[in-house]
Amino acid sequence: MRKIFVLTTALAVFASCGNKEEETTTENVETTEKAQVVNVYTHRHYEPDQKIFKMFEDETGIEVKVINASADELIQKMKMEGEQSPADVLITVDAGRLHRAKEQGLLQRIESNVLENNIPSHLQDVDNHWFGLTKRARIIAYAKDRVQPEDLTTYEDLVTEKWDDKILVRSSSNIYNQSLMASIIANDGEDIAKKWAAGMVENMARSPKGSDRDQVKAVVAGEGDLAIVNSYYIGKMLNSADPEEVKVAKEIGLFFPNQDGRGTHINVSGAGVAKYAPNKENAIRFIEFLISEEAQKIFTDANYEYPVLESVAPTADIKAWGDFKEDTLNLTKLGENNKKAVLLFDEAGWK
Amino acid sequence: MKQAGNKNTVFSLKSRLKRFKRDNNRWSALTLAIVVFLALPILFIGVELFAGPGETWSHIVEYLLPDYIWNSFFLIVFCSLLVLVFGVSSAWLVSRFDFPMRKALEWLLILPLAIPSYIVGYAYAGIFDYGGSLALLMEAVNLDFVRIDIMNRAGLAFVLSISLFPYVYVSARAFFLNQANNLLEASNMLGVGERKTFFKLMLPLARPAIVAGLVLVLMEVLNDYGAAKYYGVNTFTTGIFRSWFSLEEPETAVYLSALLIVIIFSLILIEKWQVRKVKFSSAKTNNQQIQRKVPKKSQKWLIFAVVFIPVLLGFVLPILQLIYWAFLTASKVFNMDFLWVSLQSFGISIVSALITVFFALLLIYFSKWSALRLIKNVARVGVLGYAIPGAVIAIGIMIPTLALDKWLIKVLGNMGIETGLIINGTLIALFYAYAVRFLAVAYNPIESTALKVDNSIPDSSKVLGVGNLKTFFKIEFPLIKTGIFSAVILVFIDVMKELPLTLILKPYHIDTLAVRAYEYASDEMVMEAAIPSLFIIFTAMIPVIFLNKLLIKK
Repeated sequence: MRKIFVLTTALAVFASCGNKEEETTTENVETTEKAQVVNVYTHRHYEPDQKIFKMFEDETGIEVKVINASADELIQKMKMEGEQSPADVLITVDAGRLHRAKEQGLLQRIESNVLENNIPSHLQDVDNHWFGLTKRARIIAYAKDRVQPEDLTTYEDLVTEKWDDKILVRSSSNIYNQSLMASIIANDGEDIAKKWAAGMVENMARSPKGSDRDQVKAVVAGEGDLAIVNSYYIGKMLNSADPEEVKVAKEIGLFFPNQDGRGTHINVSGAGVAKYAPNKENAIRFIEFLISEEAQKIFTDANYEYPVLESVAPTADIKAWGDFKEDTLNLTKLGENNKKAVLLFDEAGWK
Repeated sequence: MKQAGNKNTVFSLKSRLKRFKRDNNRWSALTLAIVVFLALPILFIGVELFAGPGETWSHIVEYLLPDYIWNSFFLIVFCSLLVLVFGVSSAWLVSRFDFPMRKALEWLLILPLAIPSYIVGYAYAGIFDYGGSLALLMEAVNLDFVRIDIMNRAGLAFVLSISLFPYVYVSARAFFLNQANNLLEASNMLGVGERKTFFKLMLPLARPAIVAGLVLVLMEVLNDYGAAKYYGVNTFTTGIFRSWFSLEEPETAVYLSALLIVIIFSLILIEKWQVRKVKFSSAKTNNQQIQRKVPKKSQKWLIFAVVFIPVLLGFVLPILQLIYWAFLTASKVFNMDFLWVSLQSFGISIVSALITVFFALLLIYFSKWSALRLIKNVARVGVLGYAIPGAVIAIGIMIPTLALDKWLIKVLGNMGIETGLIINGTLIALFYAYAVRFLAVAYNPIESTALKVDNSIPDSSKVLGVGNLKTFFKIEFPLIKTGIFSAVILVFIDVMKELPLTLILKPYHIDTLAVRAYEYASDEMVMEAAIPSLFIIFTAMIPVIFLNKLLIKK
């Protein structure tokens, strides 16, 4: 008896799911003519984003439909869906992936003065296929008691002997490391980049593992003296729900490398309009909204990223780290050199 | 001589053809159809093999492959050992002895399955972390904190074993409970000691059941992506993702998948071969359930301790860590939306479990009713999906279904009907993918119980003129019911936890708990992932308890 009961409830649950599904698909078909939607494929899984999408819906009446997955998977999906793809906007957390989507013919050129004029030129695609929305810097977190900040200079300097067995960094499968490597290839050339990777492997305090946050914890735990991390994770740790994490983040010093030269490596989270976007106008409007002051403020206040809009100040926590000079290498280069970077990592034995 | 030889081959060819004609029936064709349907995504990926590997193949062979092979080998060996120790010992002890809290432990031992292994990995990293739970505890009792580094190969083997051993536990226990009693009584009557009975009699007899569970574990181990990536261990699966996405060479990823499939396939063959060697036919279905022994008082607690350790490590500790995190993040993460998402997850999982089990039954019985030997081997091809990473299957599903969708759009368009994608981005594609991916999970427990049904029973029914289907529902179904229900539960839990495939194929506005947990974890918000993870665990617990009640009632 109980068995039947459970089965029927389960079926009822399914039926409700099924119905929902039908409703949404028919809705989908209708909406292209009537109600306004924008279909967003995004790699950003952050809660503040949902808040921003909601604001956009309230302001414009355009419904935001979201598919969340990693950029790689989303790109594969769009490629296979081809002309039938429902995607209007692709959002990724690094420029390399946007460049890849562009190369594979998944994005289209758009004309928007709002985007063109407000986003610094090195943070947008030369052909207007994609635009940066927020910035993150790849910086060095160091143990205050063991490292004098004066000893730190550049990324390139990290391979010198004084940092032997002292560096903590995550796996080379991580896109932020790949982009840093791509920027070194672009700035210094392939030979130096190759030697740099090998020197880094030599100086690592341990085999790469864990996340950026784990590298910072390992510095405080004394496993190494320096960690290469993404700036916004430090912001998140400072505001973590775990008091231990907050403690850790307060114990480390931050250093922005290459200030006397080209500047610190930065990457963007950015967006482009899909080649076959069924709602192109809405898509442009949507991306424009993402760089509006109100949206940019949420990006920095709730997610600790640097805004691309100059009129919006970074949130207090990251502002406290001071201004820094950023590498103005056009981010397209990161995409162009990405594969090379991965191959060089493998050859150097950077796991 | 030559002529004679020729004649012989002609003769044997003829007789083979004859035999083929005799044994071939509609069930053969139906089996083949189902296998093709289930193997379609894999076939599409297989076709890519003919295109040759990408240009970085030699790069991978030179720099990465030795590492992949060595790590995968290490994991296979150590996970096998750990899983066997945890799984078989606990299965035997709960089946043979009566001791404090036995009934609770019996189902608690299944629960580690309810936690995705990557979440267990995160939880353990959190426990042993700097400033983690263990450090805080040590500090609280004024002990020096000795940091144990768990994030390495050995740690990964531990984490995977402790979260996957229930596969072995479930199949071994089913054997001990339902099949072992007569032999056990005989052995006791002959005055053989408890220890000898176990090692000399029970263990060899339970081998097929144990190995069936072990093969599932090893497939999961080789397929793991989340935990291996976090612990910095490069395996075939991390390699597949790297070559597919970082190196942008699907062809190379397919080659790595093919290598992985070869490994899995040889594991399956080893299983088949060793089961054949111990062909046993004791399995009378009138076997009574095992009679439990009441051990001495001192032994009681020892047994309790031995059985409790895997529960502690695989369930209690990770859960405590998750609850602690959930407590820290509750105000930020929890809302009523979670209940709705849980319901969706539950509904999707139960329906895909039923569909998958249905396909497994079709495959097992159609191939049984077809007298062709060959077909039985072909049927096993349908099981291969389990060996392939979810992301790869998702791509394999998209190729044929998108082609079908585009064709439908064209045909319907000609008829003046405008449609979007009909299969892709709907639940149909998702259910199809789950069936392909998890068929093995349903197939193995059903097959192992089905094998124990003496063929003479359905045969005599058929001799009396009852059809295959009626025989199945009237006679075989009641006999293999336990196997079927275990299959439903196991697939259900797997679907609850499934991630990469769901991410790619799920429709808009359908959310699962695993996706929620991943969204947090992938952004290094492991703590925030605790609440959705706990929801997965509690939703998965319901059917586990239900299954256990069913088994006991029997």
